[in-house]
Amino acid sequence: MEIFLEGMVILNSLLVWYLLLHHTESIFTLANFTGNLSISFKIDGMGMIFGGLVSALWPLATLYAFEYMAKEEHEKVFFLFYTMTYGITLGISMAANLLTMYFFYELLTLVTVPLVMHTLTREAILASRKYLYYSLGGAAFAFIGLIFVIIYGSTTNFVLGGVLDLEKIGDRVNVLLLIYVIAFMGFGVKAAVCPFNSWLPDAGVAPTPVTALLHAVAVVKSGAFAIIRLTYYSFGTEFLKGTWAQNVVMAVVLFTIVYGCSRAVKETHLKRRLAYSTISNLSYILFGVTIMTPAGLVGACSHLVFHAVMKITSFFCAGAVMYRTDRSYVHELDGMGYKMPCVFGIFTLSSLALMGVPGLTGFVSKWNLASAAVESGNILAYLGIACLLISALLTAIYMLTIVVRAFFPNKEFDMGSLDGIRDPGWKMLVPLFIFSIVIVIFGLHSANIVKFFDSVAMGIR
Amino acid sequence: MQYMILSVFFPVVSGLYLLVKKEMGNRKNLLISTGSFLVITAVLAILALCLTGEGLFTLFCVTERLPILFKVDEVSVVFLAMTIIVFLCAGLFSFEYMKHEEKEKRYYGFYLIVFGILIALCYAGNLITFYLFFELLTLSSFPLVLHERSREAVMAGLKYLFYSLCGAYMALFGLYFVERYGNTLTFSVGGVISDQAFSNHGEILLLVAFFMILGFSVKAGMFPMHAWLPTAHPVAPAPASAVLSAVIVKAGVLALVRVVYFIFGTSFLKGSWVQTVWLTLSLLTVFMGSMLAYREPVLKKRLAYSTVSQVSYILFGLAVMDGDAVTGSLLHVLCHGFIKAALFLCAGAIIFKTGKTKVPELRGIGKEMPVLMVCYTFISLGLIGIPPTGGFISKWYLAQGSLKSGIPVFDWLGPAILLVSALLTAGYLLPVTIQGFFPGENYDYKVLQKKEPSPFMIVPILILTILSVMIGLFPEGIIRYLSQMIGKIV
Repeated sequence: MEIFLEGMVILNSLLVWYLLLHHTESIFTLANFTGNLSISFKIDGMGMIFGGLVSALWPLATLYAFEYMAKEEHEKVFFLFYTMTYGITLGISMAANLLTMYFFYELLTLVTVPLVMHTLTREAILASRKYLYYSLGGAAFAFIGLIFVIIYGSTTNFVLGGVLDLEKIGDRVNVLLLIYVIAFMGFGVKAAVCPFNSWLPDAGVAPTPVTALLHAVAVVKSGAFAIIRLTYYSFGTEFLKGTWAQNVVMAVVLFTIVYGCSRAVKETHLKRRLAYSTISNLSYILFGVTIMTPAGLVGACSHLVFHAVMKITSFFCAGAVMYRTDRSYVHELDGMGYKMPCVFGIFTLSSLALMGVPGLTGFVSKWNLASAAVESGNILAYLGIACLLISALLTAIYMLTIVVRAFFPNKEFDMGSLDGIRDPGWKMLVPLFIFSIVIVIFGLHSANIVKFFDSVAMGIR
Repeated sequence: MQYMILSVFFPVVSGLYLLVKKEMGNRKNLLISTGSFLVITAVLAILALCLTGEGLFTLFCVTERLPILFKVDEVSVVFLAMTIIVFLCAGLFSFEYMKHEEKEKRYYGFYLIVFGILIALCYAGNLITFYLFFELLTLSSFPLVLHERSREAVMAGLKYLFYSLCGAYMALFGLYFVERYGNTLTFSVGGVISDQAFSNHGEILLLVAFFMILGFSVKAGMFPMHAWLPTAHPVAPAPASAVLSAVIVKAGVLALVRVVYFIFGTSFLKGSWVQTVWLTLSLLTVFMGSMLAYREPVLKKRLAYSTVSQVSYILFGLAVMDGDAVTGSLLHVLCHGFIKAALFLCAGAIIFKTGKTKVPELRGIGKEMPVLMVCYTFISLGLIGIPPTGGFISKWYLAQGSLKSGIPVFDWLGPAILLVSALLTAGYLLPVTIQGFFPGENYDYKVLQKKEPSPFMIVPILILTILSVMIGLFPEGIIRYLSQMIGKIV
């Protein structure tokens, strides 16, 4: 079964990459409802970024999951839903209009609930219920935004620069701004924006491949992706920039950046700590979005891609530790660096990248975000840079304390208690090594990929 | 060009090799390989200085606007010379000292990596390259601090790490703005920011300059971000404390030289509130560091507080932004580097031989280790600033520059505080000598034993002592070299 599944996933990824590289400008309509409502697909620059990212990560995550899931039960059910999620995420990335995206967005919630529930413990069931309610509630708010865009927009298709028809709006500008804020927060539930973030750490009870791929990349970044679509491709930055709505969403996002980090510092459970770190980092992306300039979009895209790689790496490392030793709290990791050198070496690399040490990917995306903020000249955005840096310091605190524990245990610590622990097998190590190579290569040379993001933000692709 | 890159990568790679390699059975092999790595690095670095001409060497580009590039100028020569000498001496010293520590291989591994990164910092040709190696310096030097892995050492290591990162991020805040408003990030004489940007965004640029100065001075231990230094330096093994206190804090000084004189330019900062605040903070640190050192009984801690105070002499000179004061600062970089390294090595030799750490316990130490204590006395005199030692010349220039700068209040207040602090320096360094050689009449001479340390320990201390005195005796060459360069940047 494993070979068949891995083969299918790789085949699908190849297909997706072929499509991305040879796409046409035309829209493919699957089904037509009344009027201008339709389920239709189109590949544009933004979709290429998200689709390309997801299809690059999925085969590796599946490979990792084979080894990890060997210890758990109901493998078949797990892989069923795991692979279905792949298709639905691609659906979000290739959606040509708001309705299609909304459709897949709801499906994504429904398909991933069984994955969160997988272990069927009481904790898992509660977490998945919470996840379901939060996501559906958020989607309902987003739906309000959808309706307003359909009514006041000239088309529901995504167009860079927005589709709102100013004549239709007339003097109801403030109503629409309010609706934007509501829809932003609605989609923001999946992107774990501050008051709606508590589902994400709880959902960490899911098996690690789920937490790593879905709760650091596919699901949460669908939220961020949806907000990019909403802001840049539906409402349009012309309409939003400089209004109170921009200030409100930016303030919320900045608060989330600092809040997520400070919670991560306090958290002692390794996976929950990483989940809080995800909350903060997702808001980096949204910070880029709320700057509402092309440069801001470039920053958002680069963090969308680079954070995905960095965070999936650190989650996979955490998963490898849990798989080998059943230890999941930070204070249980003393001296492990000597027993699992590969895993903790890579974990160190991903920590440095998340902190934003130059030469690794995290620096590049923070650089793009901050220079967009400087360029925008917005005072709140200047404050945002300060938030980014405070958060970088907190990131150093919550990541490097783990590294120090693992490599420099106290003098009195008895290394004998770690006997028998060793690095995991190749199915786990291969994805980790590939990700760490990616982190270093894009950190050292990111000119090409940033140029691509530039062309997307300028609307050339 | 190739020597420059080799002298950076060779120590880093050989350090990593030592870290990854399996434990060596024979201690001698480890020492021989470490020693040869150190010497080869030094030779490569000197070759790089001699054979590299003017001009920029781009290593690679992170993005189009962010090249990683190296160049050599006079400032790099000064800092590099100090770094190489101190690293070789402290390395030789550790061959003996590290006998009584565990995990020697890891120590030498990180020691070499830090060496390479410091060399790279001296070569850094633009702000982004500098920042890259500045962060790497923090990350590779904190294992030296927590080497002993006692609870205290680990906490001190983390404190050092987070303070330094906090400073680095403050500087990064400025870096974003400099990239936006500057013509280039490459260090250029007189600054890189155009007059137009200054007139349009003057206020925000001043704020940014302030953040960068404050951020980089964390490494140099300036008030209010000095607290890590007296915690972190003493817990490290003595040779590591020596390089931390003598060289690594100077990375912060180098950063400030680069930022103030090669990025913002003195014409913009002179007379602004940033200069006033910076002067105030540095003078406060000079005074406070000396006071704290004066009442500290543990010798290594006392030396660490002394570093806090002495490095702020250098910062004061830089903040005055006058030709003579900057000459004094750069001279003090050299003097303080040699002197403080030698002092920490002395303290290490005492701990190694007797296990004593507190000053009151050191009665009669001069009878037990005469050569060591004579060296200690000479370098103490140098740090106090008594002619004809190096410390005198540098402080002379600092005071002269400050007096003729004409900054209201600070022009006389600065030299006054320097003098008070010199007095305090005598007060905290000389008691060791006095009690060491003249233990008093009720002292029991029978317990005395000859404990003179081995040549591995004495020779490096001797070299550093001689160098610090030589600077005082024959300063003309260095001063001529420095003032030529300083004429251009101030």
